[in-house]
Amino acid sequence: MSCYDLSRLLFDLKMKETVYQSSLKDFERVMADYDLTTEEKDALRVGDPRKLRQLGVHGMLCLYIKRLQSEFRDNIYWQQK
Amino acid sequence: MPLVSALAASHAPNILLEPGREWEDFMDLHYSMAPQASANRPTFEQQKKLRQDAEAAFAVLREDLEQAKPDVLIVVANDQFVNFFWNNIPTFFVTIGDDVKGQFTRHSFHYRNHKELGKAIIRAGMDRGIDFSYGEHIELQHTQNVPLYFLLREAKIPILPIYVNTWVDPAPSPRRCYQVGELIRAVAENFQERVAILATGGLSHFPGSPRIGEIDETFDHQLLEVMRQGKGKSLVDYSVQDLLQAGDTEFLNWMLVIGAVGDAKASYTAYMPDFVATGWGFVSWRSL
Repeated sequence: MSCYDLSRLLFDLKMKETVYQSSLKDFERVMADYDLTTEEKDALRVGDPRKLRQLGVHGMLCLYIKRLQSEFRDNIYWQQK
Repeated sequence: MPLVSALAASHAPNILLEPGREWEDFMDLHYSMAPQASANRPTFEQQKKLRQDAEAAFAVLREDLEQAKPDVLIVVANDQFVNFFWNNIPTFFVTIGDDVKGQFTRHSFHYRNHKELGKAIIRAGMDRGIDFSYGEHIELQHTQNVPLYFLLREAKIPILPIYVNTWVDPAPSPRRCYQVGELIRAVAENFQERVAILATGGLSHFPGSPRIGEIDETFDHQLLEVMRQGKGKSLVDYSVQDLLQAGDTEFLNWMLVIGAVGDAKASYTAYMPDFVATGWGFVSWRSL
């Protein structure tokens, strides 16, 4: 099954600053803008990239969920593409 | 005019990240996919040594490139969800914009793009059954910026970014990539300017995978030995699955250069596993 919207949200978290900033404020509201299943929303809330990978997301996109976690927000990885 | 220089080099971000906090950040993020990999983190001294060794290897490649006096450098790399996403994944993409830019931490990159060479490659492909995707706007990313930092920090000559999909399934076969390389060589031979080519990526690594931290050094050394012997064409019989199993799908970028150099023997090879994620590889072909 396609997980296009889930992948798109993760992509946007890294590539679109507005989506990232909005997600820091209200991630539930941002998730509502994407066509996500309940299982996908739960995996995003947990924030474990391994769980997202199990849903079929490309492994590198899975890592982008870490950007929302406080200990990873200043990670140098976000300053390069 | 024949190709004047051919090179291949890894583009792992930690080559250009500073040892210490930046490397630790890089490992923290990647090892969240496989926490057990964290047990083998290199020390700060090891990180500095790796950076020095990579700089030494890049210095050899840069010297070879400068000696060849190219007018343009083709850069064959893969996109990693910067320019292309699941709405459109080109197998092979040629850039035909006026210029290209990108950013890597504190480093900015801005080059003229050799769109005339790009269009010559696209047209030659259409004549020979290879239909490239193409477009005017791309953003340079680490897959180009890391090697360019060491090889062409000053934008003395234009570049031509060509993308190969090594990143998502399905990817092109090594045989097809070799054929594209042969096409590029043929175009270069009929081009008025001096053309150099660089492939980036690899060698063995498993980004975004539970296997992150594994490096198939044996497979990497086999690839390098084949290139030293000038038998790169024998690699066309590998399947994408073979490369995937060894963590070497970015070697598909290298297959274009191998197709372009044909039977030429690699004159310089260097290899260093970074103990983090990637077997760093560096190759130059001086006699083409």
